[in-house]
Amino acid sequence: MIVEKAPAKLLPIEIEVDSISFTYPSGIQALEDITIHVSSGERVALIGQNGAGKTTLVKHLNGLLKPVSGSVKVGSWDTHDHSVAQMATRVGYVFQNPDDQLFQRTVWDEMMFGPRNLRWSAERAASSVQASLEMVGLEHIKEMHPYDLTFSSRKLLALASVLAMDTQVVIIDEPTTGQDYRGVQQIGSILSELNKQGKTIIGVTHDIDFCAEQFERSILMAGGRVVLDGSTRQVLSQISVIDQAYVEAPQLMRLAEKLGWDFMPLTVEEFIHHLDG
Amino acid sequence: MAEVFGLYKQRASFIHGLHPLTKLAVSGFFLLAGLSLPGMWSTYLLVIFGLLPLAFLSRLLLELVSRTGRIVLPFMISVFLIQGILWSGGTPLIEVGPISFKQEGVQFAIASSGRILIVVGSFLWFALTTRPDQLMLALAERGLPSSLSYLIVSSIQIVPRFQARANTILDAQRSRGLEIAGSIFQRARAVLPLVAPLILSSLIDVEERALAIEVRGFNYPGPKTSYREIAQAAWEPMLQRFLLLAMAGTLILSIVLRLVS
Ligand SMILES: Nc1ncnc2c1ncn2[C@@H]1O[C@H](COP(=O)(O)OP(=O)(O)OP(=O)(O)O)[C@@H](O)[C@H]1O
Ligand SMILES: [Mg+2]
Repeated sequence: MIVEKAPAKLLPIEIEVDSISFTYPSGIQALEDITIHVSSGERVALIGQNGAGKTTLVKHLNGLLKPVSGSVKVGSWDTHDHSVAQMATRVGYVFQNPDDQLFQRTVWDEMMFGPRNLRWSAERAASSVQASLEMVGLEHIKEMHPYDLTFSSRKLLALASVLAMDTQVVIIDEPTTGQDYRGVQQIGSILSELNKQGKTIIGVTHDIDFCAEQFERSILMAGGRVVLDGSTRQVLSQISVIDQAYVEAPQLMRLAEKLGWDFMPLTVEEFIHHLDG
Repeated sequence: MAEVFGLYKQRASFIHGLHPLTKLAVSGFFLLAGLSLPGMWSTYLLVIFGLLPLAFLSRLLLELVSRTGRIVLPFMISVFLIQGILWSGGTPLIEVGPISFKQEGVQFAIASSGRILIVVGSFLWFALTTRPDQLMLALAERGLPSSLSYLIVSSIQIVPRFQARANTILDAQRSRGLEIAGSIFQRARAVLPLVAPLILSSLIDVEERALAIEVRGFNYPGPKTSYREIAQAAWEPMLQRFLLLAMAGTLILSIVLRLVS
């Protein structure tokens, strides 16, 4: 049963991940004793090398995976007590690979899929879909087949189809893969816009420069554990620690380190400002 | 990784280290003997004294029994009911009201269940202990055309691939609010829109794989060398030849037995 009929807008939702562990049926332990707290409206990046457990962790946040031990709470809901479909009213999850997610005949139908499942009125669904398509700049191709779009457009469509559900929490797995510079900038500004609306953004990313520019908080994972958790500047400036987790610090910070600066810049503007000042 | 290798289950057993063709010969022998030997209990003897000990040595006894059971049991039950009750004429064995189980029907059911058991069991044992890529390699080494071995191996792999793909798409749908744990109607509604993208993405998959192997010289006509070689103990080719002989022997024996009786 879908509980919420009225818009859940700006209902602040805290995420509590309490010492969870997870082992896949194949025997691989992917998460080990993870505890994190995400406040409503935060922008958090999950970083770490391949296989660190990032995707496994975010799949716990909408209940696709249930922890073997420990608990995950989204607002007052424990993922153990709610179906994935119910969690979908609070947590939107954009898959790493858009081709795992797109399966309708037209862009418009694809977009309507989520709002329809939430049993929204036709007007509410249509206006939300329209707004989300405009946000990612795909409003002119409503009748196209998703498979005929380029990979980067399919990624944007996958994102928009989740945004149309207007969830308080948006999880986005590897948003920038396959995007050119302009695409990366566009995704960055979409995330900022969502954040302005008060949404919580949790992004999984390998793109460390993107992480530095877009997220205020970063969590570094390695081998199924949280290694560092703090403000992005704090986390990324521990260059030797993140090196050990096989993640390369952003180029601006590496440059600043080589220049012997104490200040660790996150953005080009900061770098130039410090250089001038 | 599980989905990449079809039914294959990695275990630390010496059976897993045997050459694929040795295991192919063993399961081929069971198959042929089970199908050709007369008598309704011969297949059960093969299962009890052949297949089960091998499964035990492969550390896959429970796995094999449960997987085989899931496939074979429904068939066995229906064969017993249908043949037992509907056998025309025959000696009644048990009578319950107007329904009677005929002895001949039950015997037929025992015999045909045994056949199914040995066919499914030996195939599953082979698939559980043999990596398809190794099988492909072994067959190619023996001069099997690579397009044929590709066909065999990809059909072994297709079911788990399909399952994994279907699960991913279902996950994506649930993440967008589709309730699939409810009524039969809700489940059907969830699965229906899945069919088209599943076929579409499988076709794309096939095309990409065809391109990928083609650019690596799949259709190149000249002789090919192999990067990997499959280890084989000195006695294995002998065992393989012996099993081939045993197959021929069993075939002759079963013809003779049938002629005599
Ligand atoms: N469906 C699965 N079945 C079994 N093991 C899995 C499965 N998915 C992931 N794993 C394993 O769990 C571990 C964590 O994987 P996960 O996908 O969470 O990593 P990740 O940090 O998202 O990596 P990437 O950056 O490559 O996306 C890895 O060792 C991986 O091999
Ligand atoms: Mg991942």
